[in-house]
Amino acid sequence: MATKEFKLPDIGEGIAEGEIVNWMVEVGQTVKEEDPFVEVMTDKATVTITVPYDGVIQELRAKAGDIVPVESVIAVIDTSGGGAAPAAASKPEAKQPAAAASAPPPAPQAKAPAASVPAAPPAHGNGNASRAPAAFVQASPGKVLAAPATRRRARELGIDLHAVPGTGPSGRVTNDDLKRFGTGSPSAAPAAAAKSAAAGRAFTPQAIASLGNETRTPFVGLRRKIAEAMTRSKYTATHFTYVDDIDVTELVALRKQAKALFADQGVNITYLPFIMKAAVAAMKQFPTMNASLDEVSNELVVKHYYNFGIATDTDNGLIVPVVRDVDRKSIPQLAFDIQELARKSREGKLMVDDLQGGTFTLTNAGNIGGLFATPVINFPEVSIMGVHKIKKTPVVNAAGQIVVGDVMYLSVSIDHRIVDGATGARWMNVVKDLLEQPQKLLLGSL
Amino acid sequence: MTYDVTILGAGPAGYVCAIRCAQLGLKTVVVERDRLGGVCLNVGCIPSKALIAAGSLLKKIRHAEVMGITAKQVDLDVGKLVAWKEGIVGKLTGGVGGLLKNHKVDTVMGEAKVTAPGKVVVAGKDGKKTTLDSKHIVVATGSTPIEIPGFAFDGKHVWSSTEALAPPAVPKRMLIIGGGYIGLELGLVYHNLGTEIRVVEFMDRVLPGMEAELSNEMGRSLKKRKIPVHLEARAKSFKQVKGGLEVTVEIGGKDTTFECDVILSTVGRRPNGAGLGLEALGVTIEKGFIRVDAQRRSSVPGIWAIGDCAGQPMLAHKGSHEGLVAAAAIAGDKGAAFDPAAIPAVIFTDPEIASVGLSAEEAKAAGFDPVEGKFPFAASGRAMSLNETEGWCKVVSDRATDKVLGVHMIGPEVTELIAEATLAIEAGLTTADIAATIHAHPTLPEAVMEAAEAVHGMAVHIFQKPTSKHPVGAK
Repeated sequence: MATKEFKLPDIGEGIAEGEIVNWMVEVGQTVKEEDPFVEVMTDKATVTITVPYDGVIQELRAKAGDIVPVESVIAVIDTSGGGAAPAAASKPEAKQPAAAASAPPPAPQAKAPAASVPAAPPAHGNGNASRAPAAFVQASPGKVLAAPATRRRARELGIDLHAVPGTGPSGRVTNDDLKRFGTGSPSAAPAAAAKSAAAGRAFTPQAIASLGNETRTPFVGLRRKIAEAMTRSKYTATHFTYVDDIDVTELVALRKQAKALFADQGVNITYLPFIMKAAVAAMKQFPTMNASLDEVSNELVVKHYYNFGIATDTDNGLIVPVVRDVDRKSIPQLAFDIQELARKSREGKLMVDDLQGGTFTLTNAGNIGGLFATPVINFPEVSIMGVHKIKKTPVVNAAGQIVVGDVMYLSVSIDHRIVDGATGARWMNVVKDLLEQPQKLLLGSL
Repeated sequence: MTYDVTILGAGPAGYVCAIRCAQLGLKTVVVERDRLGGVCLNVGCIPSKALIAAGSLLKKIRHAEVMGITAKQVDLDVGKLVAWKEGIVGKLTGGVGGLLKNHKVDTVMGEAKVTAPGKVVVAGKDGKKTTLDSKHIVVATGSTPIEIPGFAFDGKHVWSSTEALAPPAVPKRMLIIGGGYIGLELGLVYHNLGTEIRVVEFMDRVLPGMEAELSNEMGRSLKKRKIPVHLEARAKSFKQVKGGLEVTVEIGGKDTTFECDVILSTVGRRPNGAGLGLEALGVTIEKGFIRVDAQRRSSVPGIWAIGDCAGQPMLAHKGSHEGLVAAAAIAGDKGAAFDPAAIPAVIFTDPEIASVGLSAEEAKAAGFDPVEGKFPFAASGRAMSLNETEGWCKVVSDRATDKVLGVHMIGPEVTELIAEATLAIEAGLTTADIAATIHAHPTLPEAVMEAAEAVHGMAVHIFQKPTSKHPVGAK
């Protein structure tokens, strides 16, 4: 009896595994080449794979819901029975089943110009012709991007050499460059995130030739820590930033009253506690905004405690002391905590404990200037909010009149691995609503 | 009989493809209508090189007085020379046969017709028909010398390269139609063997396809030897006259006649894509060449093409490489593709010519800012000690990146020296890379290194003013 094992094919660049969504055949069923076979979901697309050979399904080795690595055997087909024997070339992998993608498979990393593919006849799926390589780089003389063996490797990996930054002499792409490019793909599954973070640091160190009249100091201490943290965040969390303008005219008035009320108790009520309260309220509606990804256990950790870091500028650089239990504290209490942490920061008296356990971060550039910023996430938190200057701005009020209002930009950078854009936007709408009508914030929800 | 692959033609593309197919585990058969090894081994590269070696040896002996060697009498036995050449050809074609056999590649002799995808019918000389079924057909049927009107090859008065490689005797006077590489290679063999040669070329220079300075250098070299060359000239007809042939040639609109004993017509070759039944199956053929993709697939599934019939340049080494690519692709290798950065061209004239990559003109047209560095063999100790100081080596590089774009050479053994240049271009090396590579002394390849230095005005063994702020090898 002739059987053929069917391996999960390479469905897209950088895809290491896929989830079996649905088998469209069952054991014992007689199938024909090109029949719908199995639906496989990757992080970017769900593809329908067709039956590779005529025959009878003998075994399905994966269940719906299973996550299987590419190249692992997922089915066995008995090809001895009816129908012409598949005329595959001598190597079984010579023929790949046609994959009809319901969404385009992820493209290689950079949106580079398409490889120049020579006017080629289509790859013919008649069972005889082997599959055409994904892309050919037609090297014209003098435009050599890489040595022949590297060009070959790129074809095997389906990578367009034009998209790969070359570190070799005159920009030549080396095998190492290809390797880095391959692993640095943002379409890689979350499990590969740790790897890509490492890849981010794997660039060949860049020496800066001395041209005189420079000062060189060792890059150590807090500066280096910040560099490492920011690099890790940027190479791991897939940032997107969402910005909205908030009409805080009413909040300005409220805060003015509050400030006067607590001035004699030595507490300076700022805008930050109001914003923190609004953020918490919004997080209760959208819990993934207060989450982290456990990359080791591959679990999403949604936190039901709300500890907010406050990005603080010091002479040595950025530190982020944490205000705890934001959900359980009153606005004056939060104001007091912020004030205390600021004092400790200035005096260099912060304890390790004061800097740990954050679930979300706020960064306030409003007292310096600018329109708005796109902050870098304080990894492994899922989001960070940028708070900006309140400016007198013409606004159109409910009556359709242009009046002078107090308007502030709020931006939020979010890890797209965990939270999608729509969720982030809706979260921001809640924050906006609460800050524009601060009485809602004080009354609380039903 | 059923096979994985049927290959039509056992020339340097076909037999190489066959062996590689067998190495990759494919059941393979080769169809050959004439002799294993194709034009290259039988009536092309190999036999011509044997005759060229004899011609240049004869020339060396005759010009050895400068080294104190005087040969009193040097005789040439043409029959023996041809027999020696045939011996080499026999050994090589026998070797190909042996290799195919050891790899269990079947060989079928006869004319092939492709009757359907996967079906080839071979008509043997004895009239016997053999049908071969296979999953893949690789067309490697090569090319044929072009005949021009009025000069049909008759093997007696009008020779093609084939006849020129097996002469009954050395003719006294030879008129060569076509000053391309085949005409000049063979013409100069006869010149060295004592024939008076005359070259008629349609274009405005000999070796019209080559880098301009190489052509000019060759033109000068021919002039120095007093070999008459007629440019922008067209051979119109010939007739037999008393004591030989009279050829009418139109030069500058005026007809002139030249006498000779034999005419060698070498105006080019045309691909053998037609007559195999491929058109009827829908295979796209353009200007005689079968259109192929990067893996050498034709427009019809299961039909592939390699070698001369699959496109320019019609060179054996290009065909062999295509054979390897197609075999790998048929075996399912996704990474296989024909994507050379450059294909070297070598001409075994006297002196030899070799060229790879872009000329400065082509580089400019391709958007580069080219820089040239040139080193004459007259300044090479090794060339002097060989008593062959004619010619030079020229490196063309990109000013912006220093990458080697092309290397063009004329002189002793340059057909060997081109390998280094080709590797440099394939690997994307810079002139600094070549300059920083230690070349053994005293050898001819030092000229390549010096030419690379000369790009920056830094050649050591000729006087140059540095032209670059950054000397070669420094950053």
